Amino acid sequence: MSDLLEPPGREESVPTPTYYDRPLLKMPHWDNWNVVTYLFLGGVMGGLGVIGVLADPKRESDRKLKRTLAVTSLVLAAANPAVLVTHLGRPERFLHMLRIAKFKSPMSMGVWGLVLYSGAASMSVARELALADVLPRWVRFLAPTLFGKLQALFGAFLMGYTGVLLSATANPLWSSGKRHIPVAFVCSSMSSACALSSLLSTLEGNSEVTHRLERLEMLTSTAELAALISFERQAGVYGNALFTGAKGDRLRTYTTRTGILAPLALNLLGAIVPLPKPVDAVRTVIASVLTLLGGYILRDTVVTAGRVSVNDPRVASVQPK
Amino acid sequence: MATGFFTDTTLCIGCKACEVACKQWNELPSDGFKFTGDSYDNTSELSGTTWRHVAFIEQMSVDDGGLHDRWLMSSDVCKHCTNAGCMEACPTGAIIRNEFESVFIQPDVCNGCGYCVTSCPFGVVDLIEKFDPGGVRYNLASLVEARREEDKTALQGHGGVAGKCTLCYDRQKIGFEPACAKACPTQSIQFGDVDVLRDRARKRVETLTARGVSAELYGADDVGGGVGPLNAFFLLTDRPETYNLPAQPVLPSTRQPAGYSSAAIAALGLAIAGWMIFHNE
Repeated sequence: MSDLLEPPGREESVPTPTYYDRPLLKMPHWDNWNVVTYLFLGGVMGGLGVIGVLADPKRESDRKLKRTLAVTSLVLAAANPAVLVTHLGRPERFLHMLRIAKFKSPMSMGVWGLVLYSGAASMSVARELALADVLPRWVRFLAPTLFGKLQALFGAFLMGYTGVLLSATANPLWSSGKRHIPVAFVCSSMSSACALSSLLSTLEGNSEVTHRLERLEMLTSTAELAALISFERQAGVYGNALFTGAKGDRLRTYTTRTGILAPLALNLLGAIVPLPKPVDAVRTVIASVLTLLGGYILRDTVVTAGRVSVNDPRVASVQPK
Repeated sequence: MATGFFTDTTLCIGCKACEVACKQWNELPSDGFKFTGDSYDNTSELSGTTWRHVAFIEQMSVDDGGLHDRWLMSSDVCKHCTNAGCMEACPTGAIIRNEFESVFIQPDVCNGCGYCVTSCPFGVVDLIEKFDPGGVRYNLASLVEARREEDKTALQGHGGVAGKCTLCYDRQKIGFEPACAKACPTQSIQFGDVDVLRDRARKRVETLTARGVSAELYGADDVGGGVGPLNAFFLLTDRPETYNLPAQPVLPSTRQPAGYSSAAIAALGLAIAGWMIFHNE
């Protein structure tokens, strides 16, 4: 009998009666690629918006980067509602979320953040097109740089709100990371955005900017790693679903090692050793792809581990403050 | 006036009349046959299509005084919280508080996102997958007569909507008590003005205590964690976990300030670092 009362984890909790070991909470319905992709792309596009405002307009390479960022973030902003619709089932169900704005609901705030971001991103693209003489030059007066700044502001929100969305639930795992998950998602969004930017810049031949992007990426990945380690330390039994078993192995293999440490080493190599240009380009491409993969697996593992965490009614009984 | 349930588990005889009445009145589909082996409980849990669930707990122990056994039964239901996690989370405004102060899901507005499912600290609400393949599944969407036809078409073909106890909104509208309370043969489920019910529940605890039965109310007063008192509360004779109720529920939205501020600090830090990297050469 006593083994039934012990939680299946690393730490012992006070023996708690359960109801035939049945889950106390409901399983999240978000174990599909649609939701994970929505969370991932939202974060990445947010990061692109922030990088757009960081780039130095006095440099030619940065102006080129800005152009790439504007177009890419608009493409992502257009794709993301479509991804969400594949989860909801029908397009008009997305519109149901636009009938109200609710500050208490991170999902409602996130949808409005996405809509506002899309608007600002469209204006940024219009400005870039005007500067490139594709649209009439007067268009740039309609689309001042203010929209780039707004895009960065909404982007900063998009980087982190998905973490708040998860942690502001009753799910034992997610709710135990009320500070760590948002911080980890902000960092992961930024590092993925850096990776995507340096990947695109390398493919465009704008390699001058990639080293600065990689420096920011290294810093961000380190912060992400610190957030994850700190989360594991403080989560206790609530974190078992994510940090032990198959999910833990997955997180360590794909996010920590492949998605953070490997790109960190590659970027460090690129920063220290002067490599020939083609080799350096290959290095950047590999590091970027790994970082993006790690960011996606992070969302995927955190989201699906939420399903594992409701299986243990003992950790659901006393809910994290 | 706030209406609600007082579920006195000491009176429950496990007849499941509440489950059946609820399914019948609300036209909820069967959950299929299964044998769990968990005492007489083959319903297992509340779900999108099961809005009352009778828990059966068989307890037995032997000591010097001989054999002690008791059989606890309790009819679980949506708590209709004062501060409802599902309602706060809902991004469409489908979940509202109606004039009886119960938490009600408008099925034609719900878009099946599933956020309420993870936001209920009691694990009550769930999605009804592939809702309504062949017609109108339940009649709540047609509360407003003019929208009846429109709602029938709106509900069809959806990938799923959230479902849970409505406190029989439609029955209350015409002055009837909810189907489960009506069908309960022992008055284990009592329906009425929550203030009246709370007074009655406290008196019941006094009576039971005087008889030597240890009884406690769950949710008659603030359950803590920001959830507040429950409009559907319970009289229990064991720890809440025994009945699969959380000992310390927390209102999920109370974590938002910590989450948003941490995210903002992280984003600001990265932005400053990024600015220095891009401009300091």
